[in-house]
Amino acid sequence: MKDKETVERFLRNAANAAAHTVLVFDVDAMNEAMKDILGTEGAVYCPRETEREKAVIVPEERFTDDYFNASICVEEVFGAIAETGSLICTSTGGRAVQANLLPSHHVALVSPEHIYPTLEDFFAACGDPPPTNITFITGPSRTADIELTLTIGVHGPERVSVIVC
Amino acid sequence: MSTHAVGIDFRSNAKKALGDASLRASMRHAAETFASKRTGAFASVPVEDWRDRASEIRLNVLDNLPDYLDRFTAAATRAGAVVHRAKDAAAARETVAYLLKDRRVDKVVKSKSMVTEEIHLNDHLEMRGIEVVETDLGEYIIQIAGEAPSHIIVPAIHKNRRQVGKVFSEKLGVEYTDDPVVLTSIARKILRKEFLSAQAGISGANFAVAESGSLVLFTNEGNGRMVTTLPPLHIAVLSIEKIIPKLSDLAALVRLLPRSATGQTLTSYLSIITGTRRPHERTGSKELHIVLVDNGRSQILAGECRDMLKCIRCSACLNVCPVYRTVGGHAYGSTYPGPMGIILTTLLDGMNRAHPLLDATTLCGACNQVCPVKVPLVRLLRILREQRVEAGFTSPWERTAMAAFGFAAKSPTLFTAGQRLWKTFLPVLGIMERSGTVGRLPKPAGKTFRRRMS
Repeated sequence: MKDKETVERFLRNAANAAAHTVLVFDVDAMNEAMKDILGTEGAVYCPRETEREKAVIVPEERFTDDYFNASICVEEVFGAIAETGSLICTSTGGRAVQANLLPSHHVALVSPEHIYPTLEDFFAACGDPPPTNITFITGPSRTADIELTLTIGVHGPERVSVIVC
Repeated sequence: MSTHAVGIDFRSNAKKALGDASLRASMRHAAETFASKRTGAFASVPVEDWRDRASEIRLNVLDNLPDYLDRFTAAATRAGAVVHRAKDAAAARETVAYLLKDRRVDKVVKSKSMVTEEIHLNDHLEMRGIEVVETDLGEYIIQIAGEAPSHIIVPAIHKNRRQVGKVFSEKLGVEYTDDPVVLTSIARKILRKEFLSAQAGISGANFAVAESGSLVLFTNEGNGRMVTTLPPLHIAVLSIEKIIPKLSDLAALVRLLPRSATGQTLTSYLSIITGTRRPHERTGSKELHIVLVDNGRSQILAGECRDMLKCIRCSACLNVCPVYRTVGGHAYGSTYPGPMGIILTTLLDGMNRAHPLLDATTLCGACNQVCPVKVPLVRLLRILREQRVEAGFTSPWERTAMAAFGFAAKSPTLFTAGQRLWKTFLPVLGIMERSGTVGRLPKPAGKTFRRRMS
């Protein structure tokens, strides 16, 4: 378990970037939170590769393995950065890097052990050579290209939910 | 002087801009918004330490650029990319066109890249029969409007929502709306189809990492991620000074670039792409070509204005510049506007074309205060102004007046006589000269300083 302060700092900064954040301590609480987050509509993609992903309960009729046509992507991400409130997603292990880009709602499971306090901490740990694709996700897709008016959800997800568990 | 005719007509462009009430309103709104976002972003962070560190990184790059470029090329090649060096705009355009033509690509999706604007890539590709779809919302707006960007980060900053609504209804045949949310969703729907069907994607890069061969892209909308990972072919076009030594150097720049650009702690997405899809991977481009564009940079690197190459294109200097904030980007008649734009355009395009832009500064130094990598913008502007005089681009009147002042200032008697003359004839000059320039000069004091002190 990373120190409480790092976890809290991550949650605070992710919330500042307009992500919806939840902190839970066991699988039951995670699924309780998930029920609220998933709501009742839309196809849900989940790779079901990691332990945490396998523990996620998705109603079978809503489950899909086609992220191109999913409304929601639930996945465990590689890690997070407390300093910036960012999720770290990588192509490590053949993960599909667009699975959390195409659906309009991204639900990220974050293990507290994988929260790096600062950018330097992550860059020092990301390996040489680094994975083909590393993407930091900080809040939902946004633009301010029309009159500098913030508009959420351009090409990527309009909602980002973060569950630290 | 006949060469004046080929120069950018900044004065007449600026005059036109000053008479455009809607442009003035857009620019005023932008200036206020950027100022308040910036204040928020830099509150309670050690910004001076960060700037020092970032400046150090960029200077180190300039000191060793050829070496870093070789290292980048080797690392990117190891990771599966093909690196091309283009010595000028024509070579860069031709490289990209050849890659696309060779693979029979007739449509390409593109994310925002200023260097592709600099080399006029889109026009060239269209001429060769390749359709280019800009996918950044701001770029998409100006592409369908048939315009050029007026800001390096927010390309359509000169347009208000009603103008964008009008462009959409005219060019896309949709019902008129001026609601940014609805306009954005219209673009999203149209562009999503383009992403999924495109045979190739063209992107720029904010940085390129020498040690790992990685490309780094900061984006907010998600189009950059689509362009670089969905199509089988990804072509990245970037200028050679985008290099940074190591991935760990990125931290310092990540902290400064978005804060300086849009006041964000970090953009929604930061992508670090190293090579092509590996054997066990299901996503990412199968082919990655990186075009390193020199187009005059090596020459700048060898000259006295080489520090301009530290620039990371954040646009902070545009947003604080009293001239840019008043006339907007199009008045500069160049790819890059604002303080960094004046300098870079003069260095890239030459004094012949760019010399009128050197009037587009008050040398107030606001740009120096905000530059995250400490480009000495004012010093560079002064150097270029001196070069403009030496190259004979100032008017004969200005040169005669300066020579006369230089001569008179050496003698107390002549200086006093000059002051008297000036005081007497200024009102007359003001009547004779019609543009009003003389009329706007400060009035001479009744009693000179020297007389009061004697």
